[in-house]
Amino acid sequence: MQDEPQASPASFRDPRGFVFTRDGILYRQISHGHAPDYDRLISSGLYQELIDAGSLIAHQEVASELALSSDAYKVIRPERVPFVSYPYEWGFAQLRDAALLTLAVQSAAMTRDMTLRDATAFNVTFHHGRPVMLDTTSLGILEEGQPWVAYRQFCQHFVAPLALMTYRDVRLGQLGRVYLDGIPLDLTRDLLPSRTRTKAGLTMHVRMHAGSQERHEDDARQTERKAFSRRSFDGLIDSLRRTVESMSEPKGKSTWRRYYDETDHYSDAASAKKEELVERWIAETDPSIVWDLGANTGRFSRIATAKGIDTVAIDSDPFCIDQAYEDARRAGDEHLTPIVSDLTNPSPGLGWENRERSSLDERGPADLALALAVIHHLAIANNVPLPLIVDQLARSGRAVIVEFVPKTDPKVQRLLRDREDIFGDYSEAAFEESAEERFAISRREAVADSGRTLYLLEAR
Amino acid sequence: MRARAFTIALLVVAFTCLFLPVANAYVDPGSGSFIFQALIGGLLAVAVAFRVFWRRVLGVFSKTRRESPDSS
Repeated sequence: MQDEPQASPASFRDPRGFVFTRDGILYRQISHGHAPDYDRLISSGLYQELIDAGSLIAHQEVASELALSSDAYKVIRPERVPFVSYPYEWGFAQLRDAALLTLAVQSAAMTRDMTLRDATAFNVTFHHGRPVMLDTTSLGILEEGQPWVAYRQFCQHFVAPLALMTYRDVRLGQLGRVYLDGIPLDLTRDLLPSRTRTKAGLTMHVRMHAGSQERHEDDARQTERKAFSRRSFDGLIDSLRRTVESMSEPKGKSTWRRYYDETDHYSDAASAKKEELVERWIAETDPSIVWDLGANTGRFSRIATAKGIDTVAIDSDPFCIDQAYEDARRAGDEHLTPIVSDLTNPSPGLGWENRERSSLDERGPADLALALAVIHHLAIANNVPLPLIVDQLARSGRAVIVEFVPKTDPKVQRLLRDREDIFGDYSEAAFEESAEERFAISRREAVADSGRTLYLLEAR
Repeated sequence: MRARAFTIALLVVAFTCLFLPVANAYVDPGSGSFIFQALIGGLLAVAVAFRVFWRRVLGVFSKTRRESPDSS
């Protein structure tokens, strides 16, 4: 059956080039108003240059009969991205790379007399392990003498969160979930420690910029705008690049990053057995996309990515996600997308009608989810009953590899050390009973001498 | 007495309203950013020019200087 074509709830703001789906395929309609800009993008060679550099999502022009409305100049079909992650789900290094990508695209565009008309971080996502610009229609013809229309957005979406993460606390990256149009510069200025006053880039692009916004917010008169020379424009982009590059990975305590370094909870035999089972069951289920829930630094995600399977590594610890990203980049792993999200409070639907940005669940389920050494944290540390955990597993994956950690396990004992044991129904038998409500238990194997059990659950 | 209290209250409210911040829902939120860029534009242009100049100076003193395509 054919679905009704639908405009994407994420792109209604820009009538020049909105996105829609038809029969489950994503298209972008380019309106007549944007025709000169699109033609310049293609004819100037900028499109090809950006594609060769891997900076822009590739597309094919398709028949204009596929258009959603009559104002179509062209219809394009962008390459599909298996999982679209959002800026508030990225670690520091991902946000920094996305910022540098945006500036690189802007620099390349300026050599062809084009410019980015907006610079929100939502124009970027991660594909093949690298940041890529999704919004083909944000590139337009540069009007000579005009300053950068996207300057405010770039500062709010990139400079502000990177500065807060670097100089205040990496967890402030989560502010992006509240401020979808970027973190207000006056708020950023007030949150930054005073030692950052010595940083010229931040003083200019955050403190003075915020001051200018405040001075002119009730400035109703038409200001005469001085021409902004090309040299000034180059200087602006260069200064932003230096400011972004000057910010490096924040230091801080991570509870989880050293998780696999602690060897007390696994013997070598158990560890090898777990890896072998995960690898075998991934091969058996043959997924095209995997979600690794509570992925830590992505040790088990890499079993899937090594087979060329696109894998989303999900963890609530931004340090773990940073490490997973850096490791994947260093290893040239093109299939890993690490994201920061807490399973007990996953990314919600946000924006207009709560539909502009999809919740984590709406982007699932994956073909296969991994839930390794995670159930006991949900059940015991967060008091989530087993049937509700199984419901979440069903929303995350059509099939799931689950590790059940019994109460006798030293890790669970540690969780129970300082609290009353109110978890009478936390047992393998109770878990299996809940699991069978939603799945068929296809495999069940003991993880060597660890006392833990690995299950493969598959949709009935 | 009561009428007088009411008048005073009314005056207080009216007076407060005079000093409420004016909401500017119709002003482009980006105008401050535009004006700011115009202000710093000159400085940024000088910075770029200086960097280009400095690179040339370093180039002159570099022993391993090679003909670069843009030196012609």
